[in-house]
Amino acid sequence: MKFQIEDVTVYFPYDHIYPEQHACMVELKRALDAKGHCLLEMPTGTGKTIALLSLITSYALSKPSSLVKLLYCTRTVHEMEKTLAELKLLHRYQCLHLGDAARTLALGLSSWKNLCIDPAVVSAENRDSVDAGCRKLTASWVRALAVENPNILTCRFYEDYEKAASEAVLPPGVYTLQDLRAFGKEKGWCPYFLARHMVQFANVVVYSYQYLLDPKVAGIISKEMQRESVVVFDEAHNIDNVCIEALSVSVRRQTLEGATRNLNKMTQEIQRFKNTDAGRLRAEYNRLVDGLAQRGNLPIGDTWLSNPVLPDDILKQAVPGHIWKAESFVSLLRRLVQYLKGRLETENVEKEGPVAFVGSINAQVGIDQKTLRFCYDRLHSLMLTLEITDTDEFLHIQTICDFATLMGTYTRGFSIIIEPFDERMPHIPDPVLQLSCHDASLAIKPVFERFQSVVITSGTLSPIDLYPRLLNFNPVVSRSFTMSLTRDCICPVVLTRGSDQLPVSTKFDLRSDPGVERNYGRLLLEMVSVVPDGIVCFFVSYSYMDGIVNSWNETGILKEIMQHKLVFIETQDVVETTLALDNYRKACGCGRGAVFFSVARLVIMFGVPFQYTLSRILLARLEYLRETFQIKEGDFLTFDALLYRQAAQCVGRVIRSKADYGMMIFADKRYSRHDKRSKLPGWILSHLRDAHLNLSTDMAVHIAREDFLNLFPPWCSSYGRWRNHKTGGSGKKTLLSQEDLEKVGNVSLGEMLF
Amino acid sequence: MAIMLILFLICSELQKLHKQFVIGDILSETEFWATRMKLLDDKASRKPKQRVGLKSDMIFNVKPSSDGQSNRVTFNLTPEIIHQIFAEKPAVRQAYLTFVPSKMTEKDFWTKYWRAEYLHSTKNIVAAAAEAAEDEELAVFLKQDDILANEARRKIRRVDPTLDMEADEGDDYTHLPDHGLPRDGSKDVMDSQYEQYRRSFLQDLNRHAAVVLEGRAIDVESGDTRSVAEALARSKQVELANEASDGNVNQERLDRISRMAEIEDLQAPRDHPVAPLSIKDPRDYFDSQQANALKTFGDTLAGTKQMTSDLSTSEAYGSLRESISEIKAVGLRAPIVKSEVALKVLNGLNQNISSTKYQIGKNARESVLDRLPKITRDELLLHWTSIQELLKHFWSSYPITTTYLYTKVNLAIMMYCNVITSVSSFPLQWVLDECEIRIICGQTEGCHVKNLSKATGNILSKCHDPASTTDLKESQSDFRHQVSLLVQPMLQALDAAFAHYDADLQKRSAKSGERPNGLV
Repeated sequence: MKFQIEDVTVYFPYDHIYPEQHACMVELKRALDAKGHCLLEMPTGTGKTIALLSLITSYALSKPSSLVKLLYCTRTVHEMEKTLAELKLLHRYQCLHLGDAARTLALGLSSWKNLCIDPAVVSAENRDSVDAGCRKLTASWVRALAVENPNILTCRFYEDYEKAASEAVLPPGVYTLQDLRAFGKEKGWCPYFLARHMVQFANVVVYSYQYLLDPKVAGIISKEMQRESVVVFDEAHNIDNVCIEALSVSVRRQTLEGATRNLNKMTQEIQRFKNTDAGRLRAEYNRLVDGLAQRGNLPIGDTWLSNPVLPDDILKQAVPGHIWKAESFVSLLRRLVQYLKGRLETENVEKEGPVAFVGSINAQVGIDQKTLRFCYDRLHSLMLTLEITDTDEFLHIQTICDFATLMGTYTRGFSIIIEPFDERMPHIPDPVLQLSCHDASLAIKPVFERFQSVVITSGTLSPIDLYPRLLNFNPVVSRSFTMSLTRDCICPVVLTRGSDQLPVSTKFDLRSDPGVERNYGRLLLEMVSVVPDGIVCFFVSYSYMDGIVNSWNETGILKEIMQHKLVFIETQDVVETTLALDNYRKACGCGRGAVFFSVARLVIMFGVPFQYTLSRILLARLEYLRETFQIKEGDFLTFDALLYRQAAQCVGRVIRSKADYGMMIFADKRYSRHDKRSKLPGWILSHLRDAHLNLSTDMAVHIAREDFLNLFPPWCSSYGRWRNHKTGGSGKKTLLSQEDLEKVGNVSLGEMLF
Repeated sequence: MAIMLILFLICSELQKLHKQFVIGDILSETEFWATRMKLLDDKASRKPKQRVGLKSDMIFNVKPSSDGQSNRVTFNLTPEIIHQIFAEKPAVRQAYLTFVPSKMTEKDFWTKYWRAEYLHSTKNIVAAAAEAAEDEELAVFLKQDDILANEARRKIRRVDPTLDMEADEGDDYTHLPDHGLPRDGSKDVMDSQYEQYRRSFLQDLNRHAAVVLEGRAIDVESGDTRSVAEALARSKQVELANEASDGNVNQERLDRISRMAEIEDLQAPRDHPVAPLSIKDPRDYFDSQQANALKTFGDTLAGTKQMTSDLSTSEAYGSLRESISEIKAVGLRAPIVKSEVALKVLNGLNQNISSTKYQIGKNARESVLDRLPKITRDELLLHWTSIQELLKHFWSSYPITTTYLYTKVNLAIMMYCNVITSVSSFPLQWVLDECEIRIICGQTEGCHVKNLSKATGNILSKCHDPASTTDLKESQSDFRHQVSLLVQPMLQALDAAFAHYDADLQKRSAKSGERPNGLV
């Protein structure tokens, strides 16, 4: 359908639209007009992504002269693929109505590992070896050598891409990672470099948060994005964590040992170059004397992860004279590593500010703050000079230099915490030195400054006024939308007791009680025999899930569960988890039915998620927030707020769209307390009936039996469903057609419905 | 013998044939069954029609029984358990194929396996590593399964990208070692030398569920461990080859993703999505359809005539030509026919094919047999089968090398006459008009069958039996034509047999002229 929002014709690829989608578009349009930032909370299952995509692309189409470009940031690659799939749908629809005028270029961007098509390189096990494998084939000096010596391997895809030069472009369309790979294979061009190149010209770019937030990555990828771009952060309830992670580094014993090895290797290399090619080292020296840390425009194959420090904070000065010589820089790094080793030997937890830490470094090993700041640049230059391609071997020294640069740059908002052992396992020495960032607004600040509109959106952003304070920005629009439902397609219940009337909880004192474990097991067993298709169970932590599964196995409950449904489990191995998820979906799709056990993210929620609240980093961050932003702990990271965020995220997965139906069981006696429960999202609470607040297992099973009859759409044909939606039980329309939108002035519509 | 009895019970047709030929002394018992050896074998080990999947239970997760006196424990392994172990742990399967029996006995093998399992269950990785260092065969069980790891790596490339969490690993640059905040619970640092011995029960569970979901890949029922292992290994290879050759999967996956991306209740109501029809076993399919078809058949007894069309022949031909030339020009489009049209055609076909299941002959336009009285129909079918049986034996006797065969052929020929005789009792007088007389009169003079005259007499008498002709007096001539068409192939087969017999006989008599001593 297409409709007007003020002066913009919106192309929406469906025949109907949810009222909240329409309202969201209206708000977003206002924010774009005002060229300001915006904060939108919209429950899962209300088609948030398509609404955003459809409005922003239509907005760009209606103003062809402006350079509105969409940078859509997702948390994960699979969300990226999902977004691109929806975009494809939208693009097809727009092309249908507008013809060639709607032809735009949209693509996803990911790392080498996900885009490489060279079978030899891509078979490497992890990202770093793929990076290094690629670099070995594409570095400028390798290619230069290969010109003379045909025995040196290069990447044919990269060579062909280079040969094609300006010819190598992507025709308009929507490209998922898979499409990019297919296109690359067909043309014989490297998809990674092609995509990197095309990002500058694309109308829509979908990539992960880090490509904008992490200065190491943003520096090489998002440097040239126009100011007019609209940036969307989807599923952004964790954006503050991503921001602080981007600026945090930790150092362990292994890191230091690895760094020492790296330094030895570098010393050898320097010696070798001195004997064979002394001119090269001298050239670098001269370059540094001239004040240039970087060699100007590097070939695209040589680009490195960029400076870990935010662009505004990078010192635009010449590298200090005493590290111009390669040997003196290496020996300086040795001293630094030695110092850090000494600090790790501590037996007590230590917490220091960066200023004090830098001061003690200066006093003990004579490295001043300014020199620390240049560690990254100097290392980068040295690695290029030494023509090091196996970058995966040199990650440790890189970490040390990142650490040094960050520490030398920032004086506030950070702290350095040294822990001699893990709090939970005090008998195992595992010292770690962490430079942790406390201020999420640091990393995101350049984004807010560079781009005129930044949209932060998620299913759970409440309390919505917290985010502007955490991230330190002023949104022009900040709205929270509710979900309109015609029928009870969700049925939340709170279960507090097992069939034996004993309370169930994951509270610390009850957690390992065999009675509780058995009651949870019986609950699941009863549910698998009643519930059709799939059940997802969320556990509060890995160790808890591991323990309970093993105990179910011993008591034979697991065996009984398996007689009804297949069991899949999330493990710490992502490959395995992915395959398990895929199989789970297959099993549900083919009618076999399955249970998926996952960690806190019925859905049956076994217990209340808990944060490892004693974490010192968390405490330090809370302290910082209290002092700087006057955010009280209670507002931010208390038990309750976490419960709120996490439990809501978990159970929010019950329904994918309003046509779905599902039941959610909160199995912990603490959910029956009003103060805890009230933190659950409104759209769940509104379906929580009083009678369902304090159930035991047998009662819950009874409800499940009844409810799956009711929750199942009573209409089986799609036509029936549609009609039922339209007329709606409550008299309030939950689906709007084009005529509906035309009838009512669109300005008043948003207000009218909410 | 018991099998034969069962077979007779299942198949009354067979019983009738047996009665006719064996009891009637035309064929010996062995001859009769010789051509049906396969039937005997097959039906003897006849499997239940429904293929049994794998148990959803983890049956190999058994607890040993102990005698309570010593520290000795006993495991009972059934073929089912072994099958499950092999299916879920390819490394064990591989080890079995390499070790047994060349390196160790089967018993030793399983003892080692359970020892390894025991070590795993203690969760003492260091101890497991130490044991593995001493015993390299034990190490095979203790180490992580390389075959599985490879398989996982292969599968992960085919997984739905919207689920692929593995892709995030590389995308998230903060997962560089030591960058970002240390995560809760992931701090599981382990010495790399022990890493390969780590295995969790959760992994086993996932693997088990995946195998069960895949279903039973092999059909080996025997208890022979080795053949099970080999069959499983083979089926894996087949799977691999299939994957390599299957290029469509990608496209399908993409289609599925775009389907999943849609929000279905915002979509206007659509007709039911069209699923491609793929009939693996046409016979099964149409048999199952028959019930439906016959139900509606009552309403449309007049056959397929109801499919009227207002197109004239030339118009229809024109449109056919048009669409052919269009296909030539444009090529095939994705749906070649509109799905409604296809459904209509399919329904029509269903009715046709399933209703003519028992129809003999190539003419499938209309079910003539269904309109005959049941007794008549059965009789006709029986004749057909007996003629087939006889022909089979007749042709298998050539070239005639022994006296025995000669007599057999003669017997067979005689039987034709008998059959024909009984055909003659067939109440369709006009069938006889068409054929029998011709055959019998034309051919029987060649065979020196004593009861010829009797047979002919029989036929003639039956033919003129007024009672047998009454029930179809009113039959229309086109109907009669169709039945004759139906009988046509039967007659042709007989003609051929007789012709061959005659030719052979003439040759033989010519030869016997030279060699008066007769047959070879």
